[in-house]
Amino acid sequence: MLVLKALGASAPNTVLSFMKKGAFAVAPAVDQIRHTHLPAPSPTEKRPYSPFQDASNMAEYAVARLDDLLNWGRKGSMWPMTFGLACCAVEMMHFAAPRYDMDRYGVVFRASPRQSDVMIVAGTLTNKMAPALRKVYDQMPDPRWVISMGSCANGGGYYHYSYSVVRGCDRIVPVDIYVPGCPPTAEALLYGVLQLQKKVKRMKTTQIWYRK
Amino acid sequence: MSLMKYLALDKVANFFNIIRLNGGIRGSLYKLYRQDEIKDGVLIGEDKFGNKYYENPRYFYGRNRWVEYADQYYLNYDASQVPAEWYGWLHYKTDLPPHQDPSRPKYKWMAEFTENLSGTTGQYTPYSTTRPKIEPWVPKKAGQ
Amino acid sequence: MLRQPLTRALALSSPTRVAPVVPAARRFAEQVSVQPEKVEVFIDDKPVYVLPGTTVLQAAAQVGVEIPRFCYHERLAVAGNCRMCLVEVEKSPKPVAACAMPVMKGMRVKTNSDLTRKAREGVMEFLLVNHPLDCPICDQGGECDLQDQSMAFGSDRSRFTDIHFSGKRAVEDKDVGPLIKTIMTRCIHCTRCIRFASEVAGVDDFGTTGRGTDMQVGTYVEKMFLSELSGNIIDLCPVGALTSKPYSFAARPWETRRIDSVDVLDPLGSNIVVATRTNEVLRILPRTNEEINEEWLSDKSRFACDGLKRQRLVTPMLKDSRGNLTPVEWEDAIVAAARALRDCPPDKILAVAGDLADAEALIALKDFVNRLGSENTYTEQYFPTGGSGTDLRSSYLLNTKIANVEDADFVLLIGTNVRFEAPLLNARIRKAFIHNETDVALIGPKVDLTYEYTYVGDSASLVKDLAAGTSSNEVLKRLESAKRPVVILGADQLKTEEGAALLAYTQELALRLQDNLQDKEWKVLNVLQRTASQVAALDIGYKQGVGEALAAGPRVVYLLGADGGVVTREALPKDTVVIYQGHHGDAGASIADVVLPGAAYTEKRATYVNAEGRAQQTLPAVTPPGLARDDWKIIRALSEVSGAGLPYDNLDEIRERLSQVSPALVAYGDVQANNYFAQARALAKSLQKPVSGKLDVQLKQLEDYFMTDAISRASPTMAKCVQAVLKQKTSPY
Repeated sequence: MLVLKALGASAPNTVLSFMKKGAFAVAPAVDQIRHTHLPAPSPTEKRPYSPFQDASNMAEYAVARLDDLLNWGRKGSMWPMTFGLACCAVEMMHFAAPRYDMDRYGVVFRASPRQSDVMIVAGTLTNKMAPALRKVYDQMPDPRWVISMGSCANGGGYYHYSYSVVRGCDRIVPVDIYVPGCPPTAEALLYGVLQLQKKVKRMKTTQIWYRK
Repeated sequence: MSLMKYLALDKVANFFNIIRLNGGIRGSLYKLYRQDEIKDGVLIGEDKFGNKYYENPRYFYGRNRWVEYADQYYLNYDASQVPAEWYGWLHYKTDLPPHQDPSRPKYKWMAEFTENLSGTTGQYTPYSTTRPKIEPWVPKKAGQ
Repeated sequence: MLRQPLTRALALSSPTRVAPVVPAARRFAEQVSVQPEKVEVFIDDKPVYVLPGTTVLQAAAQVGVEIPRFCYHERLAVAGNCRMCLVEVEKSPKPVAACAMPVMKGMRVKTNSDLTRKAREGVMEFLLVNHPLDCPICDQGGECDLQDQSMAFGSDRSRFTDIHFSGKRAVEDKDVGPLIKTIMTRCIHCTRCIRFASEVAGVDDFGTTGRGTDMQVGTYVEKMFLSELSGNIIDLCPVGALTSKPYSFAARPWETRRIDSVDVLDPLGSNIVVATRTNEVLRILPRTNEEINEEWLSDKSRFACDGLKRQRLVTPMLKDSRGNLTPVEWEDAIVAAARALRDCPPDKILAVAGDLADAEALIALKDFVNRLGSENTYTEQYFPTGGSGTDLRSSYLLNTKIANVEDADFVLLIGTNVRFEAPLLNARIRKAFIHNETDVALIGPKVDLTYEYTYVGDSASLVKDLAAGTSSNEVLKRLESAKRPVVILGADQLKTEEGAALLAYTQELALRLQDNLQDKEWKVLNVLQRTASQVAALDIGYKQGVGEALAAGPRVVYLLGADGGVVTREALPKDTVVIYQGHHGDAGASIADVVLPGAAYTEKRATYVNAEGRAQQTLPAVTPPGLARDDWKIIRALSEVSGAGLPYDNLDEIRERLSQVSPALVAYGDVQANNYFAQARALAKSLQKPVSGKLDVQLKQLEDYFMTDAISRASPTMAKCVQAVLKQKTSPY
């Protein structure tokens, strides 16, 4: 019994490690937010560049800066794989054209999934196209992101009740950013890309590696 | 047309004017780092978060009104940090900035403006309005 | 009474008649009748050798030629009234009905000739004269025999123009209860439902009235079709006349995903198919298993699936300071449970397993409790501990096996109402009664078993007299002269104080009979358990009957789905911590301090052992709701936190552990033969004390049958059934 108690004293640690191992990985949305999201900012407080401000020792501080560097590089050169499926693709082209000029954010269209980081699903995803979309997504190297552009890609949109349309491309690929609109303006897509940059900025690649 | 313009020396004058207005060489470099652009303009107003709104009709339409985000945002500025009252002016829906516009309605029920909180704990989380497929068991309250 | 003349009965029970049976299941049947010589017939010029008495349709099935049929069903008597199976036979002037025509030597059957095709098209045309064209709004659409066969064998047009003026026949719908929806206009008078009701279910309520166009299938008077097997007529109906009421307009068959599984609501472990769509169980259908349920399914197993969506535990809960259960995170609940278990002296821990627990969870819980230093793992159901107790498997199983009951010539039921405790076993006994001249005797309260039986009495001393061979009762003579007697003892009797003695006497009686048999393979002794988990729990080594353990005043009680109401708050000391793990909020959860939500049988891959000792596994058809998890995983996590980590991390490893305990637990689909009867008998001798009580059973009436466990108690359909039965009682019919 004493042994049991001694073992039990380390229980909370064991629990945490057990939880992390993923036995209970699927938590409802609200809990996931609590674990993965930043606290909501107040409009008056100062916002430092890095979202990682809670380092408790030098090593953690170092890996946090390493992550900052990595994320800075990643967010500054996000090359989208164009997946223009319908009318949204025209707005996506406007985003590329000089008025909105996506090049200034380091966003350059690539025709090959092997060279791209982001997939912009622009338009209605039909059942017939879904396997191709998934295949292209699978061909992209990690880390990769998906922007779902427009109502049809977000949730089927106008064609939600059609027999031949996928009710949202998130049924096929994991989506990071949803851009609403039918179609979204080029500005909206631009804002979506900026939001994705924000998201990339809080990726914890090396920090997770270090924690393991 | 003045001689200055004829010789395109007004551009040079503008350049020095811009540097001067943006706080000298150091200030200008900082602003370039922060917002990739330095401009000269008239300060039209400032909102409650500290964002400053400028106008200069010398630039062509579409670029002649702009916002410089408040210092505390540093590099984390975002278009959604422009509050609703300034949005209209910035997007040419009206030429009257909020403090000069007498016809702006103010009601008690108007919500406080917030920026886009996606990615933080304050984000909007959609919820389903359909009846759940599984009815959970509700335990009896004590003392009943 | 439907009992048939001997000649007919023999024909029906011949092995070929019940066409594609597994040979092993009916091993005994073949020994009964001497095999006659086979005759040669030609189906589409292919020769086939069959036993005389086989019908043309069965002979054709043997060479893989399917003849269309509506009224013929291999498990029901032949009616021959739909005429869809007409085939051309050489030298016969008219086409003959293949389902009713016995083969003759050298018969040449043409199943695809012009005459046959013309005959089928003609029959189909007649059937469709009055059948409404409402397939788009018909629930049978997609799994309708008429639809399929009119596509395959029908003509593309009808010559009946008369209905353009007179319209089609319309028949008023009947109200036959809360389970079956009738749209009688669609009926094609195949009479399958009538034959099922009178032959298998034993309810002579259905019949036809009128003739010709006016013929109607119905219950003669305004009456509900209330039986524990009523749902099967939905499957039998070849058209959409009888459809499922709870499932009406829910889904089309091609939308659903079908997962093979095993039923756990009765001890037989019937094989089922769970039809799901969008992570929701829509309906449960039977899956053919000749050794257990044939192709029938009892109503509780079939219709209680809507109970899986009500009253579920979806999140872990903890009692807060005010004594209310409040939802918490897994982490908090597990830490709280682990702390309670850790701080408790080992001998004050008590684990109780309930009706629906699977073998994996049972072994995990037992290992966990043992690692904590306690031996107190109990089942809710009682079983006597004396004698061989549960050491010998033969003393708590249905040793005869379900399928072999058909071949018995005398069945003695002791203190059990088989009809409601195991409806499909009762259907087997009834089948044997009708077709094999089997006689049945009953000791216990008088109940309606749907067939006639010799009533012996309800006094326990009768069993003692029978066992001693001193009884003057006629039953003893019948038992002793029987070639294949079967004795079935209901598990309900074991919870009384005289249970041990009763079991000992039954063992004595059965084994004495067994020793005198010529057939050494035949097993006489049967104990019919009440729940799906009990056999596995006893195999794993659970102790039985929690009464004594409760009296000892446990400090922590771990309920694994124990909703039987055996453990109550009143019986426990005040400061006892009750941890409940299960899937429904029922008796157990309402007294709990910590609630850990588990998965129901449709949501996990788990092993269940049926009353015969046959291990079978369920497959996950849907995901557990909310935060609920597989039961053994919860125990595994809890053991880790309590510092007594269990040595298995995945299903394969835990099954490896199961096979260490008993290889029978992982021999899926098989029953291992039991021996050591003699030893059990010798050990039981010491328990033969005088008995004087009366035998009683829990389920006497149909209304008792529907709601017996956490799932069926949560099911609205089952509640409606109970109401319907009570309403029927007040009706004058």
